[in-house]
Amino acid sequence: MTTLVDTKKLTMVQAVTDGMRVMMKEHENVIVLGEDVGQNGGVFRATDGLVAEFGENRVIDTPLAESGIIGTSIGLAMNGFKPIAEMQFLGFIYPAFNQIMTHASRIRARTLGHFTVPMVIRAPFGAGVRAPEIHSDSVEALFTGMPGMKVVVPSNPYDAKGMLVSAIEDPDPVLFLEPMRCYRSTKMDVPEGKYNVPLGKAARLQEGNDVTIFAYGAMIEVVMKAAKSAEEKGIKCDVIDLRTLYPLDKEMIAESVQKTGRAVIVHEAPGTGGLGETIMSLINDTSFLYMKAPIERVTGFDTPVPMFALEDHYLPSADRVVQAIEKVTQF
Amino acid sequence: MVEVKLHDIGEGMHEGEVIHFFVKAGDSVKVDQPLVEVQTDKVTAELPSPAAGTIKDIKVKEGDVVTVGSVILTIDAASAPSSQKGEEATESKDQPVVEKIVKAPSHTAFAGGIATLNKRVLAAPYTRKIARENGVDIEQIVGTGPGGRVTDQDVYNYIEQPSASVTEVTSDRSVEEKATASTRVYSTSEPEEIPFKGRRKQIAKKMVQSLATIPHVTHFEEIDVTAVMDLKKQLKAMDPDNKRGMNVSVAAFFVKAIQIALKDFPIFNAKLDEEKEVIRLEKNVNIGIATDSDEGLIVPVIQKVEQRNIRDIAVDMKDKITRAKTNKLKGSDLTGSTFTISNVGPLGSIAATPIINHPEVALMAFHKTKKTPVVIGDEIVIRSMMNVSMSFDHRVADGATAVMFTNRVKELIENPYFMTLELI
Repeated sequence: MTTLVDTKKLTMVQAVTDGMRVMMKEHENVIVLGEDVGQNGGVFRATDGLVAEFGENRVIDTPLAESGIIGTSIGLAMNGFKPIAEMQFLGFIYPAFNQIMTHASRIRARTLGHFTVPMVIRAPFGAGVRAPEIHSDSVEALFTGMPGMKVVVPSNPYDAKGMLVSAIEDPDPVLFLEPMRCYRSTKMDVPEGKYNVPLGKAARLQEGNDVTIFAYGAMIEVVMKAAKSAEEKGIKCDVIDLRTLYPLDKEMIAESVQKTGRAVIVHEAPGTGGLGETIMSLINDTSFLYMKAPIERVTGFDTPVPMFALEDHYLPSADRVVQAIEKVTQF
Repeated sequence: MVEVKLHDIGEGMHEGEVIHFFVKAGDSVKVDQPLVEVQTDKVTAELPSPAAGTIKDIKVKEGDVVTVGSVILTIDAASAPSSQKGEEATESKDQPVVEKIVKAPSHTAFAGGIATLNKRVLAAPYTRKIARENGVDIEQIVGTGPGGRVTDQDVYNYIEQPSASVTEVTSDRSVEEKATASTRVYSTSEPEEIPFKGRRKQIAKKMVQSLATIPHVTHFEEIDVTAVMDLKKQLKAMDPDNKRGMNVSVAAFFVKAIQIALKDFPIFNAKLDEEKEVIRLEKNVNIGIATDSDEGLIVPVIQKVEQRNIRDIAVDMKDKITRAKTNKLKGSDLTGSTFTISNVGPLGSIAATPIINHPEVALMAFHKTKKTPVVIGDEIVIRSMMNVSMSFDHRVADGATAVMFTNRVKELIENPYFMTLELI
């Protein structure tokens, strides 16, 4: 059975806005707060038009104090609101780290389940848009090591809206990371109404039997390009968009590597302490005996993201990914 | 202190008998110097020294049977580098440079020796998984991948290659008798004892295993070998010095005839896998040649006979039988047979009930050739006649099939020019 739905072509940032709009319409207790999110529409215009539609009581411009934004959101969430807090850049989240680590992520455990913190923290992240260094940080691993909070990263407009809806509906705090490079890089048909893309489920973007590539966010475009080059050389890649970084979709990761016996993990965050290490452990725990070659990682370097002139050298390129694919297949 | 252990010399051996020590405690040894001679169930091998040093402690006696992994002796390797230092210190500056170069590698060899003792197999986890699932000890496999890594294909090849086994000898003289004939003393009243171990024990084990599991049936046939012997003579006459390799043995024709007949009756070139309930028809025809040696029965294998001509077979067979008799076969010479023949004719014998080389399905023994009056048409003529005994596994094949197979072998040997139709 085919169900026809109305769609419109949206960029990722427009899909994010649409997701918030749909949920604010449906639930009066959904509110947005952050720096310049009101009249200004947010640093990337993600909240554009929301204040006009829902008023200043639900779209709140805050002082420049990330710890205050998150602390306030935690209190609102515990008292019946569903706040969506915007960080202008993920790299600006550090002052709020204490609020997230010591309260947001563990109130459910601390109160033995009596209270939850149903809030969403939206944060643009990643390099590749020529922003200065702290603006470009990929520090998602700081939060994937924080039990109690989900960390999700869409890589396209459809997933962005559907996952944001799921994040807002989730009873626990969700860090919703938006890859800046994907904000306006592509348009896609996005359903107009409400729909869910489930959290905790990865997506298989391409089917192949030779090697599995794991990536997320802005790296999806890079690995798809690499997978195409590999295919010209006769190597068929299983490409998995992880989408949710915590909790990981362990079943799909294991299923794919057990099929291919080879894995390449790609992320732009530094290799040390990066999510790639967690995935390697997971593969070791579930699929060691299936592995035909050591796992390869293509990551950013163990340095802060450099100034923009060097940004392209820092970021994993399709060429580097192809080299890794060849390395694992020729082992 | 370096422990010299009995390592697996090849093909998954479990134990070996210490035949002879070349060294005694206190001797100083160099790397690769032979230390001890060990008899396994298939070969006699010398274990070389993994390190330079002084023999410290010999843990076993000659005649002892030791299991793989047991320490045979220890070497005080610490003495080697210091003595070398001493040598170097006393070396005059006038000594040729070459001398120093020769000495230097001993350190490298020392390290290599240790590494050999503590063998680490390189293999990906998936490769190990395949090996484990097939009950294969990955340490027995020689890797062909980069850096000697065992690849998936190496494991598959190893699985396909059945382990070497020995078969019954249809010789009419006893190996024990031969081994002891010169030393037997008739004047004593005490019975003489011969140790029942090593290859003899291994042969016994194989025989029991084969006879206990396979319901044997043997049938007999007589074959007129006059034509093939005439052909051999003609070939020899054309190449008296064997410069063109035309001087081939009659047995090589037998091997080829068997292989051609196996093509028509592949059920005899097979293995019964009871566990999986399948009869596995082998792709290649590898003929084991039951050979009598001073150490007992041994079965070198002529590989892939279907891809080889009669001259090749003759050369290979001669080489392997010679090496079998001088105990110089390698492990790889003894593996992979799919059908075994026992050519006892040169020793005598007119008939036998050979025991199959388990887990093969059949074995054919060729007996003595003698000139016999036979009736051809209505005339009595003298022909060279030979009996064959064909033992087969009655679980896998029936008598009629075995008779048809033997008839085909007979037809080919009696009319050797038929084989020209099968040339590849």
